[in-house]
Formats: sequence, C-alpha cells, structure tokens
Amino acid sequence: MNFKVRAARKEDCKEISRMIMELAVYEKMADQVKTSHEELERDGFSPNPFYECLIAEVPDEHKTKDGYTVVGYALYFYTYSTWKGRSVYMEDLYVMPDFRGKGIGKGLMAKVAQVGVEKQCVRLQLSVLEWNKPSLDFYIAKGAEDLTAKEGWHFLRFDGQTLDTLAKEAPKD
Amino acid sequence: MSNFILRKAEPKDVPDILRLIKELAKFEKMEEQVILTEKELLEDGFGDHPFYHCVVAEVPEDKQSSDGYTVVGFAMYYFTYDPWIGKLLYLEDFYVMKEFRGYGIGSDILKVLSETAVKTRCSSMHFIVAEWNKSSIEFYKRRGASDLSDEEGWRLYAIDKDDLLKISAKKR
Repeated sequence: MNFKVRAARKEDCKEISRMIMELAVYEKMADQVKTSHEELERDGFSPNPFYECLIAEVPDEHKTKDGYTVVGYALYFYTYSTWKGRSVYMEDLYVMPDFRGKGIGKGLMAKVAQVGVEKQCVRLQLSVLEWNKPSLDFYIAKGAEDLTAKEGWHFLRFDGQTLDTLAKEAPKD
Repeated sequence: MSNFILRKAEPKDVPDILRLIKELAKFEKMEEQVILTEKELLEDGFGDHPFYHCVVAEVPEDKQSSDGYTVVGFAMYYFTYDPWIGKLLYLEDFYVMKEFRGYGIGSDILKVLSETAVKTRCSSMHFIVAEWNKSSIEFYKRRGASDLSDEEGWRLYAIDKDDLLKISAKKR
C-alpha cells in the first residue's frame, strides 16, 4: 500500500488529536487524555514548539471507512542527557489497526531516527507499558534495550496538588 | 549553614556543572558513561536553541567546599510533552555535594523547579530514579511523588546511535 510520511502541519492537529485518543484507548487510559486539538496547535506550532510530529498519510482510494487519510503519527521532542548530550524522545508512535503490517510504523520511526541523526542526537528513547508485547517486540527488533531492566530506572512524577504545594513553598528572592 | 543562593546557571558555570555531573554519575555507579564535554554543555545550554535549563546552588566564599568550590549543587531540566496533558517539566539531573546536604538546598531546588513548572503551565514534573537509590526515592516520595513504573508499568527503552543509523537508512 502506498503511503507518505511527512511533517505534520497545524491543520493536522484534529487528526492527531483523534489518533492520540485511539492510542490512549488501546493503552487502557482514555480517561487520562485532557488535551484538545487547540492545545496541540498552540504547543506544536508556535515559534517555540514543545514537540514535533510526523504523520503517515494514504491516498484517497485507501482512506478509512470513516473517510480519514491520515492513518498514523509519531510525536517526539528533544531531550538532554548529562552523560551523552542531545537525545530524541519518541513519545507516541501509532498506526490505526486496519493499516498495520504494511510498514507504516517502520516508516514513521525511520523518519524520527533520521531527524534525530541529523540533529546529532546520540540516541532515541521511548517508554513502553510492560504488558504491551507487540510494541516491545517491534522496538526490540530495532535494537531497543530495556533500561528499566538493565539499569533499574523508574519513572516518577509530581503532579496536581503535590506540584502546587511544592511551588507555594519556593523561597522568595 | 543556611547561607546559600539558588540562581539560573550562566555560561561561566559550565565547568562546575560538568564537575557536578561527573560526581553524580560516580554516585550512580556510571561515571565512565559521561562523555559530554564543556564545549557541548556550553553550546547546548547557552546557544540559540537551548536543549536544557539549569539552576545552581552557590555558597559564599567563606563557606566553600573542602576543594575550594562555591557552586555546590545543580538541577538540569527541560520541557517535554505529553499528548494527553500537554507541557511537562522534566528533571534530568539533580545533585547536591555530600558535604552540603542536610541544609535544605535540595528541598529548595525542588520547590523552585515546581514553581517554574507551575508558572510555565506544566501539569507535572517528571524524572527517573534508579530503583536501588533508596535515599533519593524516599526523598521524592516524602514530597508526594508517585512511581509510574510501579503503578502503571512504564519501562524506559533506548536505541543507540548505531541502531538509529540502521533504522533511518532502511528503504521501504
């Protein structure tokens, strides 16, 4: 099947928002999605974007039963390792179920890898849910190493009320 | 000793930042993995498009460390994006020299970063900790941090440069 991977444009945000929700449903966390396409537009397409996005598009004759031609996306941003320098972090990679097995996921990821190499990034990082075997297999086949298993890294977070409480206690200049 | 200040890092702080990065890596038993240089830190943090932001803790001259340093702690952070909730503040490194612990420097750094997160419209502050690092995990959990790896099953994966080159070169 013919498909094209290209940089997302502001007008793609409605499609990206739709697919973000589809991915969240797959990850069994749909109730955690709070962003709207307007926020995606503001945060990705201003002079100082907080993420970059690639989308996979199929020609009209292959569109989905709901009429969509945008069938996959990869959302990523740049991070920094104090040990190795610039890195790229692939936050989301998603292809609609009917379009899997056609190399679209590989194509999206290859483009993220290419962008990373061009920007002199030393590695690509991502996180995967431990039960998500198809995704784990996909990434391991490409050389991904489980740093949680190898080095014991855990993700921690301060959010909501906890963050506000800490912020209120900050020393004043 | 309650005399210390927290301030935004400046280019002149780069040698101290690298020194502290190496001290922290040594504590994490990964000293040989630090390949970053002062030149890269300078370019990447103080150029046109910074890849990171940094806060340093400084003590007055008369309170300098046994080796004569006045920059005794740092935190490096940057902004990331969660498609579900938007902007996040990601805490990459956070370290206070051993002889300056117990004076509230670490606590204050965390509070200043939380304030930055709230002011810049971040919903959350994220970071990673090695599971054997019990004292750090306790420090964070006492302040309300949740462990997403335990609670939700998230695992960190990395693909290195050689494999990235292979992936990006494959033709469809």
